[in-house]
Amino acid sequence: MTASAREKTLIYLLIALVLIVFMVPIYLILASSLKQPVDMFSQPPKFIFTPTLQNYYDLFTMRPFHLQILNSLIVALGSTAFSLVVGSLAAYAISRIKNKWINEVSFWILSMRMFPPITVVVPYYIIFKTVGLLDTPLALIIVYSTFNIPLTVWLMKGFFDEVPAALEEAAQVDGHGVIATFFWVTLPLTAPGLAVAAVFCFIFSWNEFLFALMLTGSKAQTVTVAVMSFWSSDAVQWGRIMAGSFIVLIPGMIFVLTCQRWLVKGLTMGSVKG
Amino acid sequence: MSQIANRNRNIALIFLLPAIVILFVTTIFPMLYALWLSFRNYDLSKPFIPRIFVGVSNYAEVLSSSAFLHALITTFKLMAMTLSVQLVLGVAIALLVTQKLPGMGIVRTLLLIPMMISPVIVGLVWLFLYFPELGYLNYFLGLVGISPIGWITTTGWALTAIAIADIWQWTPFIMMGTAAALQSLSPEPYEAARLDGNSRLDIFWFVTLPQLKPVLVSLLFLRAIDAFKIYDIIYVLTKGGPGDATEVISLYIYRQSFTFWRMGVGAAASFISLMIISLLITYFFKSMQRSQAMQAR
Amino acid sequence: MSSVALRGVVKRYGQLEVVHSVDLAIEEGEFVVLLGPSGCGKTTTLRMVAGLEDISAGEVEIAGRVVNTVAPKDRQIAMVFQNYALYPHMTVRQNMEFALKPQRLSTAEVKSRIAEAVRILGLDVLLDRKPSQLSGGQRQRVAMGRAMVRTPKVFLFDEPLSNLDAKLRNQVRLEIAKLHKRLGTTILYVTHDQIEAMTLADKIVIMKDGYIEQVGSPEEVFARPRNLFVATFIGSPSMNLVPAVVQITGKSVKLAAGPLTFDAPSSIEAQLRAGQKVTLGIRPSEITLVPDHASGLEASIEVTEYLGTEALLNLRIGEQDLCVQIPASSRPPLGQPTVRIDVDSRHLHVFDTESGLAILA
Repeated sequence: MTASAREKTLIYLLIALVLIVFMVPIYLILASSLKQPVDMFSQPPKFIFTPTLQNYYDLFTMRPFHLQILNSLIVALGSTAFSLVVGSLAAYAISRIKNKWINEVSFWILSMRMFPPITVVVPYYIIFKTVGLLDTPLALIIVYSTFNIPLTVWLMKGFFDEVPAALEEAAQVDGHGVIATFFWVTLPLTAPGLAVAAVFCFIFSWNEFLFALMLTGSKAQTVTVAVMSFWSSDAVQWGRIMAGSFIVLIPGMIFVLTCQRWLVKGLTMGSVKG
Repeated sequence: MSQIANRNRNIALIFLLPAIVILFVTTIFPMLYALWLSFRNYDLSKPFIPRIFVGVSNYAEVLSSSAFLHALITTFKLMAMTLSVQLVLGVAIALLVTQKLPGMGIVRTLLLIPMMISPVIVGLVWLFLYFPELGYLNYFLGLVGISPIGWITTTGWALTAIAIADIWQWTPFIMMGTAAALQSLSPEPYEAARLDGNSRLDIFWFVTLPQLKPVLVSLLFLRAIDAFKIYDIIYVLTKGGPGDATEVISLYIYRQSFTFWRMGVGAAASFISLMIISLLITYFFKSMQRSQAMQAR
Repeated sequence: MSSVALRGVVKRYGQLEVVHSVDLAIEEGEFVVLLGPSGCGKTTTLRMVAGLEDISAGEVEIAGRVVNTVAPKDRQIAMVFQNYALYPHMTVRQNMEFALKPQRLSTAEVKSRIAEAVRILGLDVLLDRKPSQLSGGQRQRVAMGRAMVRTPKVFLFDEPLSNLDAKLRNQVRLEIAKLHKRLGTTILYVTHDQIEAMTLADKIVIMKDGYIEQVGSPEEVFARPRNLFVATFIGSPSMNLVPAVVQITGKSVKLAAGPLTFDAPSSIEAQLRAGQKVTLGIRPSEITLVPDHASGLEASIEVTEYLGTEALLNLRIGEQDLCVQIPASSRPPLGQPTVRIDVDSRHLHVFDTESGLAILA
């Protein structure tokens, strides 16, 4: 339908409005991180101001922020790698095996996502304390995997469904074993799915707060907890909080801007009949 | 079944094993421990009282407490607010954003960003906007003549303030799923409708929306699960206050466990809310199956 | 008065012109087929008549009214789409009701129109089913029903049979023919399949690259193709083409193609020049087999294709391949290496090789 010029203008106007609503807070984070305390809440808000990197500087000097970034990275990458392996194997099994037990198992796995995290914080705390894993990246990797594995299964199952069994049968008729077929034929075809799952596992782990807060102390602290630590009992140190927030924001933004197409495909596989 | 098929199935079962074992271990142990806690008088603020088995008294206390009921109601109120607005907004924006006009791809990409931000950060930026006396939201409202609102300081507004932040973060999710669904719809019926002269509203209501229904249900279900668990944003914005105006289930549990240090009660409340959400999910699935069966007939 | 008239209709996408000044007059009740290979502009032309595409230049007239700026729903047309275009979540009945919604008819009127369409197309058992529960042929009939309830002045069909398998195609083709006979409504039909065109059309419009190559009845385009494109497009198996040169010695005009040399048909002798490069067109059905001892040319048999009632002989004479269509019973026994053939020069089509145009009497 050839929309009239008036319609087109209206659409663009509405879209501009939508963009403003959704992008302004992000801009705020960046802008505020570069503001000096005096400009932070100036009324009217200053769009032109003298930027300063002081907040970022403080971030790295008042806290071992680089170490905390490293911790977050280790936890996120660790949990992602682990969950991808375990999760895609499980997703493959669920995709290929067809009997009623599988549905029960798959439902049980997916239901792991439904636990309110707060319910298991105390038990995890006590268990990890008992085995001496408190305040280590490993503790978080384990905890995050209970969420990331089901996430991977959910994402990958759809991709595995799309690989025709005929391809695997052809490989096996040629004499390749099941495992070889899986690695050389099936898995490469689901590479986009793996990429999507990896991104979401990473982002979830990177963004997580509650377990990171409860299960880590000074050694394994992650970025989200570190940012919140600038909120002391009486004062919210906005400049540094915004600087830290922006850094926490970066991986998510990068992934969205680079992998948008894959992300949409992966997320909508389950809900939309492609 | 052929030899190959048999062997395949056995190996596939082995593939499944690691996930099952790991998930089992990592979830069953904490769950069992929490269960154990829930039957005990585990109060960290009174270290000298023995932690004895108290049967179901924790459960009884939770179920009869008005605070728990209030938390449940608050949770469902918040869910209703956020889900309904996300749905309408998400679909509306998806319709806008799937028009075949230049630049829409970039818009769709940019709009995905809020979804990928840590909820804690979302809470922080909205705290910045809501901040008493200084936050910019009231400033801009003032420009159009609205007097300042105590977003997080007034009981009347607190829940709405949280809803707004949550809607801001998750509407893109609904938009993305709906946009993908819209793009997968076959264009030919639309040509036929155009030819027959059906009005655009009719086309949306009678042709587009019914086809979107399964996707929307799916998306809403996912969002509902997450909405029930909501925690980080509230922790940052109001910590459940003012008073208990925004104390949702997860914050009620937090308060019992980490403010009053009554771990047993917290655990009992956790299981009760787990049961509630399981019931909801089962009810949901049963009604899905029922409606699918009716359609097939 | 013509039911539909196109005058100098042009379609441009930006700088690219895809339909070049089409002129066409369709009489009331005529079944007109736009025929041509993909990309020839036939569907674009149809869509311009429908109002689904803007008209870059020229006029489209329906029932005496210029409709260039008239909305599709007011053009008194209805369209049957290639992929049925049925609303997937609505029942058959609801599909038809929705098509009538913009007409704002009374409930009684809607009911009676649907009942009529159902009766004619035999849709009664299907009324409460959804498209996903129907077969391809049933879906196509529902699509026709949805068009019918609009009681249009012109039916537009956009390659309705191309999604059906061969057997179903014949069935639905028959139904369309019967429908036309029964309703007598003007039909504008687009296809790339020349069999559909030949069997259904009152008038065939052959298009190529946005131009009309020829307009005529099926007999006309079959027996008197105006150029090489039409000659080879119409007819299955397609016309044999033999390159030849005009040789004039005194009073005899011959068309020489090596061993295949014919006397030029007397009706066109005068138009031929010495040395003119021509292409001879011979329909496979117009080559006859002659017994061994008679005159005629000897050809070696490459492949024999047996089709039940007929047989196709793929022959070779010198450098030239020829296809011959004969009754199955006349086919030479297996293993026989050669046959003798003859061509009546009255059945010869002669085309000027350079222009591709037929040299007609």
